[in-house]
Amino acid sequence: MKELDVRGLSCPMPLMHTKKAIDGDPAEILVLADSGTAKANVVALLQDSGYTVTIAEDASEYRITGVRR
Amino acid sequence: MSQGNPGNMGLCIACFLRDITGFFVGGSTNQAAVAYIRPEIVGIILGALAAALVTREFRPRGGSQPVVRFVLGFIFMVGALIFLGCTVRAWLRLGGGDLSALWGIAGIVAGVIIGVVFLKRGFNLGRAKAVARPLGWLLPAVAVVLLVFALVSAYGAKPGWATVTPENARAVVPGQVVVAPDGDGLKVLKPADGNGDPTASIVDGAVVADDGTVLADAGKVAATKPMPGGKRAALWVSLIAGLAIGVVAQRSRFCSIGGIRDAILVRRYDLLFGVIGLLIGATVVNLMLGQYVVGFEGQPVAHNDALGSFAAMTVATFAAVLLGGCPFRQVIMGAEGDADSFVAVVGMLVGAGATHFYNLASSPLGLAENAWPALGVMAAILVAVALAGSRKTA
Repeated sequence: MKELDVRGLSCPMPLMHTKKAIDGDPAEILVLADSGTAKANVVALLQDSGYTVTIAEDASEYRITGVRR
Repeated sequence: MSQGNPGNMGLCIACFLRDITGFFVGGSTNQAAVAYIRPEIVGIILGALAAALVTREFRPRGGSQPVVRFVLGFIFMVGALIFLGCTVRAWLRLGGGDLSALWGIAGIVAGVIIGVVFLKRGFNLGRAKAVARPLGWLLPAVAVVLLVFALVSAYGAKPGWATVTPENARAVVPGQVVVAPDGDGLKVLKPADGNGDPTASIVDGAVVADDGTVLADAGKVAATKPMPGGKRAALWVSLIAGLAIGVVAQRSRFCSIGGIRDAILVRRYDLLFGVIGLLIGATVVNLMLGQYVVGFEGQPVAHNDALGSFAAMTVATFAAVLLGGCPFRQVIMGAEGDADSFVAVVGMLVGAGATHFYNLASSPLGLAENAWPALGVMAAILVAVALAGSRKTA
């Protein structure tokens, strides 16, 4: 599984990194994010790119998992 | 804006932050015309805070190059005040039919393109980390303090050191002769003696000094428009509108530069729709209210210096791209607990004071004398920051 850590990065880095990662067409991808904006952007990008997304959330971060549909 | 705020300003973050600076230090920064705690800003911060708390998106964070962020906020503000509007107001000006805003919007596009070049080279300011909880509450705390000052000034006694542009006051001769509405007529606010009592009066519409000198004839007085800081909606209307805008902006992640940036950089158009929606909305509202006036010349709080508008907005937008979001976003993120964004907002506030102190702000007449050298220096600093700030993050 492709893993990506975009915690603490300003816009548009979370989106850029995720875009780059899915250009490699991984079957499964995990993105760690820590802001609501990054989460929303990454989730929308993954969904539009053909991934089914699940989000786990704890006090400090979002674990966004995308599985290729 | 239909409620009394300045023309095509509606929601100009740069202008409103500048007015807040004017309240605190306006006496020493030549900001008498632009001094008022804009309740919209207080509302936006508290609205975004509430939305972030409810959705558990309030997370105290910071430590990503705060000093650089201060400088970028500062530069953004100076650029915006040379254009006469931030990256939000550029769209609102266009939505009011102000075609001179097109030069600024061309500058926004140019600033984004330059910023994207550096983003692609790997520019970023490094990762923010979780910080102690109180640091996340800096901007909300400031909002509460501002609200207290706004209420005290409106309903009690304005502190002696503070500056508030009198409601609908008109600078007939800027800094020297100022009048304000008084019932059906006008009253003189300046010139005044040490006690604040006017030393001139209105005679047949003209301003006449006590010694009989005509300071401004009736035609000149009649032709003068109210100063931006004196045009305002009612405090509660502004505050509640701000709260609503804060909630919507926090949820929608609205960003006035992110739309073009993401469209160019990653072919994402979500944010662009927000900006286009704002433009269409402003146009429709202005048409409905009969405020839509198409043209380049004589637009409210604007000048038609094409090259100056273009360059100023290029500089401001470049700074905003390096910051990771427009000033509106910085305010929202500050309300979400981002201490770095708080620092950027402080940079903007200080930048506003400096712009007026050094007489760099434009007026409807055009650019200030030193605007071009200032833009040159700021552009050089931005390129230096952009070149120095490339690091690997993935």
